[in-house]
Amino acid sequence: MINLAIVFKEGLADFSRNKLRTFLTSLGILIGVFAVVILMALGLGLKKYISDQFESLGNNTIFLVPGRILSGGGFSGSASSFTGTFDNKDVDKLKRIDNVVSTAPLTLKSANAQGTIDEEFIDVMFSSEAIQDLMGFEVDVGRFFDKTDLTKRAKVIVSGPKIAEKLFGGNQEAIGKKIRIEDVRFTIIGVIKSKGGGGFGGFDYDNYMFGPYTTGYIFNPEKKFFRIAVKTKGEQYVSQVKEDIKQEFLKRYDEENFSIVEPTELMSAVNSIFNIFNLVLVAIAAVSLVVGGIGIMNIMYVTVSDRTKEVGIRRALGAQKSDIMYQFLTESVLLSFVGGFLGLALAYVAVFFISRYFPAYIDLVTVAISLSVSSFIGITFGVFPARKAANLEPVEAMRYE
Amino acid sequence: MIKLQNVNKSYRLDNEIIFYALKNINIRIEAGEFCSIMGPSGSGKSTLMHIIGLLDKPSSGKVFLDNQEISNLEDDEISRLRNEFTGFVFQQFNLIPKLTVLENIILPAFYCRKSLSFEPKEKALELLRRFGLEEKKNSYPNKLSGGQQQRVAIARALIMNPRLILADEPTGNIDSRSGREVMKLIDDLNHKEKITVILVTHDLDIAKHAKRTIKIKDGQII
Ligand SMILES: Nc1ncnc2c1ncn2[C@@H]1O[C@H](COP(=O)(O)OP(=O)(O)O)[C@@H](O)[C@H]1O
Ligand SMILES: [Mg+2]
Repeated sequence: MINLAIVFKEGLADFSRNKLRTFLTSLGILIGVFAVVILMALGLGLKKYISDQFESLGNNTIFLVPGRILSGGGFSGSASSFTGTFDNKDVDKLKRIDNVVSTAPLTLKSANAQGTIDEEFIDVMFSSEAIQDLMGFEVDVGRFFDKTDLTKRAKVIVSGPKIAEKLFGGNQEAIGKKIRIEDVRFTIIGVIKSKGGGGFGGFDYDNYMFGPYTTGYIFNPEKKFFRIAVKTKGEQYVSQVKEDIKQEFLKRYDEENFSIVEPTELMSAVNSIFNIFNLVLVAIAAVSLVVGGIGIMNIMYVTVSDRTKEVGIRRALGAQKSDIMYQFLTESVLLSFVGGFLGLALAYVAVFFISRYFPAYIDLVTVAISLSVSSFIGITFGVFPARKAANLEPVEAMRYE
Repeated sequence: MIKLQNVNKSYRLDNEIIFYALKNINIRIEAGEFCSIMGPSGSGKSTLMHIIGLLDKPSSGKVFLDNQEISNLEDDEISRLRNEFTGFVFQQFNLIPKLTVLENIILPAFYCRKSLSFEPKEKALELLRRFGLEEKKNSYPNKLSGGQQQRVAIARALIMNPRLILADEPTGNIDSRSGREVMKLIDDLNHKEKITVILVTHDLDIAKHAKRTIKIKDGQII
């Protein structure tokens, strides 16, 4: 049986004799694979980023959001000022519902804040002390605000690490410092540990500050909240609590004026969006790879006709049709595999740089898919030229010059 | 060993005229024979040789190999026979340019489906030694003279221990001194190794090496 090393050698000899032609042919596959891998890496990165954000919330937390979720507004956003429709009455109602452990109303205030070394436009999230547990914040230095701060409406604030670094030059440095938000002076009592991530639709908590919602009434005289987080005793209570909340809230609001969402539910919504994204991706991939494949088919036809005489000689030496077929198929697979491999390598480098600014990464599945798809393209589009070569009449082929 | 019975070979030319390259050929070649096919250019010598060597099929008529009719064999089976049973030597050498001398000689062994009784590389090196080309084993064909290339082609024809060697004007493209060397090799194959040789030529001096000469003109034996 013909030995693969020889077939490879001959293929490579052919490629190196026609370097430019080989490169141009592989380029189609290269670009296709490159584009697909980059898009997959971005998709994966974004998806992981979002799921990480939800994961940190835990699976026993429910959010109350005004309006219809995923049709208007969306779950997360970063508009400069969020006031909402919920009020303290709603919070009290929620507290009375069975199996609710804690509730945290949320308002956002965006304002210019003056630190010791810099000035920055920041977002402050006003909530209850329960937010620490709900979001899974860990205190790095100092302390988080507590119930006493809430009742005293203390002008205290907890900072995310990035903003502490920017305004004061470090976590330790920020503690005890005063910060002015509009006309109100707050004291920084703690800095939380980094939760990572950058702002792509989710909250980048590292860049937020957190204060008691009662103090936040200064900026929110109507005492309205744009979101209420509710923590249940455990995952198994979530659906019952949701139902109870719904019944309770329907007494006060129309159905379209509030939504009850749980992170897992949101995650599946995100997943379905990504499924559409993937479908689009597959379509792009298919088109570009078919174009690349046609390029390969074209060049393989040229190769077959260039090497007609050689095919005749091989047949005279006893090569079977399948031997000829195998040889040309190996070459076309090699050609598209090399294109795919280069595309992947290039994408790898590109993702390396992109990942500094955007959550993108290449996983093993992406590698496996891109390499096997490019090999598959080589086979699919190499079959026709290879069959043409295999079916040449030996004597006719040998006459060919 | 080989018998052709009422063999015709025709080509349909573009203007619907049918051209007969071979007309009603009947020949019989016995094992161990040294036979030459002679005739002017275009008389059908190569066509006849291709049919005898199972490289081409007649348009009509029958070809027998060891009394077995081969026209109804599968293509793979005929390829296998070409691989194991015959060895071709062509006027233009027909070596594969991107393979080394050694790789060219071994090539037929790659196409063999059965296990070989010899080690192809050893055999190839032994043939190269015998033909005085050992130091050329890693050269590419275009670095060799015509005579050397033809000797490599003969080595390639011999690698599978064929029973039949078909040589189509083997000295046609080389100088007369190399031609004599090549003819000496071919003589030895027949005399010493008892391989059946069919030699196509239009040169009377070359044809004299053979014990029997088949003369052909306009596709007919005369
Ligand atoms: N494929 C073909 N189509 C048409 N004519 C052919 C073909 N092959 C060979 N011939 C013709 O058949 C005749 C015999 O050719 P060939 O056997 O090569 O002659 P020789 O080897 O004696 O010079 C020539 O006239 C040649 O032109
Ligand atoms: Mg001829």
